[in-house]
Amino acid sequence: MEVIVRPKGGDLDEMAKRVFLESIEVLGGLKKLVEYRNLTWLPTLAEASYVVILRNEGMKTYSEIAKELGITEQTVRNIITANKEKVMEYLRGEIDELREHIAGGIAKIAYERLKKEERLGERIEIGQREAEVLDIDWAVHVLARIKGLEFPVNKEELISRLSNLLIKGKRAEEILESMEYPIKNPADLLHKLKEKLQQT
Amino acid sequence: MKEKYLELRELKEKAPRIFGIPTGTKLDEMFFKVELEGNKHVKKPLGGIPHLSVLNITGIPDTGKSLLAEQFAVNQAGLGYKVLFVTVENPANFLYTSMKSKSEAMGIDFSKVERNIVVIDASESEELRENPRALLETMDYAISERKCSNTIIDSVTGLYEHREVMARQIVRLIFNFLKRKRQTGILVSQKRSTQASESAEAAGGLAVAHIVDGTIVLDKRVIESKWESNLYGLPIGQVLRTIRIDGCRLTPHDTRTWVFEISDLGLIEIISPLEEFQKQEEK
Repeated sequence: MEVIVRPKGGDLDEMAKRVFLESIEVLGGLKKLVEYRNLTWLPTLAEASYVVILRNEGMKTYSEIAKELGITEQTVRNIITANKEKVMEYLRGEIDELREHIAGGIAKIAYERLKKEERLGERIEIGQREAEVLDIDWAVHVLARIKGLEFPVNKEELISRLSNLLIKGKRAEEILESMEYPIKNPADLLHKLKEKLQQT
Repeated sequence: MKEKYLELRELKEKAPRIFGIPTGTKLDEMFFKVELEGNKHVKKPLGGIPHLSVLNITGIPDTGKSLLAEQFAVNQAGLGYKVLFVTVENPANFLYTSMKSKSEAMGIDFSKVERNIVVIDASESEELRENPRALLETMDYAISERKCSNTIIDSVTGLYEHREVMARQIVRLIFNFLKRKRQTGILVSQKRSTQASESAEAAGGLAVAHIVDGTIVLDKRVIESKWESNLYGLPIGQVLRTIRIDGCRLTPHDTRTWVFEISDLGLIEIISPLEEFQKQEEK
């Protein structure tokens, strides 16, 4: 009797990555992302991508998603209920004010597009050039190194995972030494790393 | 633009043929088909549960839900059909022992059963239990690679154990998947303590019963009073076990409550409708 004990797919991290990259396309691609950089930052978009995937593919409750990502239930609710049409109108300049979660709306559009075109199951590798242009190549390397790490996480665990990694010319250990702990989740880590990089 | 509607006649080629998938129990006689013979409509046993149906088996604890599911699996495997068994509650090694003893009790060659059953052990994998997408992709792999035509999940309740608010979405996801993969499916679901034991309601509410093609309700009652003892013709302390088909949207079926026993060998043996059982016991 054949017994299967491990999943053969359904990698939610991979799906979140696809939604994240598709969200950049929804925004019009790399060039447009630069224009919109004051409206939403990449960790927020990554967070929204995770929320959309955990809800729609992982079938998680608001409470479970909030706990897993280290955010509030209200933020989860705002992302899930974001009005996609209103967000697109706002981004096109058709309306001046917006009460919706912008990254949430974008991530929802990206997700629906991937589902409709049956591309959610594709493996996508972020090209090195694209990652450098987005200024996220360091983030990609960090995320790859911390895959499988349980959050919240302390300094010692992070240093052991990111040892010998150079982040924009700086040793990861140096940056990590000066950060506050514990780190709640991957988005929190990227956010704090970026803050430290901007300070130097 | 892709058409979003179809005329009924366009569905003719896609409409499945309805026939019975044997369970190895008298349930096979409780589903019917109606055929025209001459100018008369004649009711005939379907010979099993409807092909391509996705049925829910529900009941309070220890009513024989898992036994029925396993008996169906062994029967189908013994007939040469591939079965996918997703075990959420019982680790696979215990399931193996149970299937082996059932095969022996049913007089079925266990080596055939071993070859024809694929098990996904979600009881040992949090990822498979908590991530419906991972479970479905794993099921897709098993069904496609091993050419399974029957799928059993014991129990579907275990997939939304602490998030019953998501029950409807999860069951709908699984139901649609099984239909897409052309599976005859059995979903075992548990009841909550507040739910009536004889109703089709299960954990997740009536949503589960509404989504699936039909529900088989297993119930048990301990004879506790002289009145019940006289009514059912059983001594006080004995357990009366019943089985009932609570709706099936694919075929007509017997709506009566039937009495069954669990034999010493762990097999479900359906005896007779309760009304006939009572008369028999009175005699």
